[in-house]
Amino acid sequence: MSKDLLGRPVPRRTVLKAGLAIGAVQVASPFVLQARGEEPIKIGFDDPLTGTYAAPGKNEQIGCELAVDQINAKNGILGRKIELLSEDSTSGDAGTAVQKARKLIERDNVSFLIGNVNSALSQAMAQVSNEKGVLHIVPGGHTDPITGVDCKWNVFRVCNTTRMEANAVCSLLFKTYGKKWHFITPDYAFGHTLFQGCEADLKKLGGTVTGNELTPLGTTDFSAYLIKARAANPDVLLVLVQGNDMVNCLKQISQFGIEKQIHVAGTQQELESVEAMPPEARVGVWMFEWYWKQAAGTPSLDRFIADIRKRTGGKVPTARNWFGYVTIHAYALACEKAKSIEAKAVAKALADMELPPEIKLQPNKVYFRGGDHQLMLSAFVGELLHQGDGDPENLFKVNSIVAGDAIAPSVAETGCKMQMPA
Amino acid sequence: MLELIFFNVTNGLIIGAFYALMAIGLSLILNLSGVINFAHGGFLVIGGYLAYVLTPYLGFWGALLVAPFLTALIGFAVERLLIRRIYGRDPLYGLLLTFGLAFIIEDGTRQIWGANGLPVSVPPALMSALSSEFFFITGYRMFMVATVAVVVALLFVLLRYTRFGVRIRAGTLDLETVAALGVNVRALRSLNFAVGIFLAGLAGVLAGGQLGLEPTMGDGLLMPSFIAIIVGGVGSLTGTLIGGLLIGVASGLTAVVFPSASEAVIYIMMALVLLLRPRGLLGEEGMLT
Repeated sequence: MSKDLLGRPVPRRTVLKAGLAIGAVQVASPFVLQARGEEPIKIGFDDPLTGTYAAPGKNEQIGCELAVDQINAKNGILGRKIELLSEDSTSGDAGTAVQKARKLIERDNVSFLIGNVNSALSQAMAQVSNEKGVLHIVPGGHTDPITGVDCKWNVFRVCNTTRMEANAVCSLLFKTYGKKWHFITPDYAFGHTLFQGCEADLKKLGGTVTGNELTPLGTTDFSAYLIKARAANPDVLLVLVQGNDMVNCLKQISQFGIEKQIHVAGTQQELESVEAMPPEARVGVWMFEWYWKQAAGTPSLDRFIADIRKRTGGKVPTARNWFGYVTIHAYALACEKAKSIEAKAVAKALADMELPPEIKLQPNKVYFRGGDHQLMLSAFVGELLHQGDGDPENLFKVNSIVAGDAIAPSVAETGCKMQMPA
Repeated sequence: MLELIFFNVTNGLIIGAFYALMAIGLSLILNLSGVINFAHGGFLVIGGYLAYVLTPYLGFWGALLVAPFLTALIGFAVERLLIRRIYGRDPLYGLLLTFGLAFIIEDGTRQIWGANGLPVSVPPALMSALSSEFFFITGYRMFMVATVAVVVALLFVLLRYTRFGVRIRAGTLDLETVAALGVNVRALRSLNFAVGIFLAGLAGVLAGGQLGLEPTMGDGLLMPSFIAIIVGGVGSLTGTLIGGLLIGVASGLTAVVFPSASEAVIYIMMALVLLLRPRGLLGEEGMLT
């Protein structure tokens, strides 16, 4: 008689029954699927659902699910229902993200892959999707090479590149705050390219970098870096870390009162992080990649906000919700345009495709640039608000909405040489 | 430069005090029960979130007092229901069980309170920095260090001068003899586990005020605490205290010269201790065999 983990004997009959049950499930499931009619189009979602980036990952998933339900309510893609298969990529383990991507492609036969929040994991997943010839949209991993030197025919990106983020705020920071900058940067792909972008912009403007503190992903205590940063006496302290690291860093900055001595700012800021900060830590000039509070009359915006609220327990949508929403809708539109779900045809249809008003939910033209497959989305530049301005949910004052192609480097500058397969 | 070094040593001591609080709880459980409690970070998270729930009713100070006790109560129940079943088995069972518990707690927290972080505001009296020169010594951080000092002192008194404490110390050295002398070892281990978890809960409330709450917040604090135990020496609570302070100062000092290695340096310290003095600075030989 075998024993279980706690050393108790397991009856032979139990083992046999379990085996039979597993066998039955394997045989039975294909019939269940066939009974539903034509097989649905499967979409693989491989994003962080645990760890540092669980909050943005979960929010991208909610945006995807909303779009999937909307499309299925209108008879799916090319008359076929779509089905979202979600996997937890973890927040920082490229091995797991790749293994899940392979599982989705090889075992589940997905026709479309989505992921990842983490830049490094996005790059690793792009290798797999490219090898397998599966269409892949990166909803929220920002590092430049994904649509730059490492661009691939099957890979598209919804969120900004780090260079676009730097370009959106650097000249404004230089003009308003001064020319000596100190950086707190996350020590991986995203942080490295974001710092390079800011440094290049700053040099062009004639400023200097007083230091760059590279911090490991998941750092909780920033005091040692902040002590060093303050000793360097810069005009501006740029916080480039993201997620919980951003929350911890800004919280410690406000506890130490550093924002009263040095201007604190950054590039990318997210509602997930701002909501997790106490009011006094919400300081500085930043850019959001999408923000819910816009001028009245943005088509379909109110409906999107209401739909997301229903799925988040009443919370307003974040840029991550929008990334997920756009990712699925863009894929559906491209499939309808190509009249096919075959990866090459869909990729061709996506290149240079402009998003309609009910999907883009913002002013300015929003389109996938054909040369590098990068979405040209607006940057929402403004300042954080301690408390909601007349509305407790409104934590960011948008000063300007800059069109994506005004801040993106040219395709030649990105280093992307797009090659379609024969 | 000298000022930077002085700042970072002081700052390192503050961080180290916090690691020590976590590590002493871990160490108590490891010494008497032989269980390496991977769920310790999870109990820290429970303590933090309980305080968050209690604050609207009891205020910050009330929550600070009550939340650790509730966490200890949960710890007590977990010991009775789960942990005690693996005593005397291969340490691997304990690792697997507490590792699984850590995942359950993290995901449970995420289910109840959401994946997004929650802000915690500390009383305004503790908010400001001591002076603009010593900006990194805030009222709250001083308060944390003071709390740790008081709790550690109380714990040492408990272990030294009470019957319960003497039994714990005796059990650490030779549990069989203690049992043979008629001490209820089962109850002793349960209570000792609860005391360890109390310290984790307290660390959680303190960390919540410093960092805010988030389901994975225990992870980043757990590894340094393990290392504090190994550096200080398994079996010695004084060693654990010193170990915590040492790694805090070491990572603070490394941040001055080579910031990206400030996390790696504590692992290098652990490797050096294991190579040169495997029992740790104040540890007794053969404690873990």
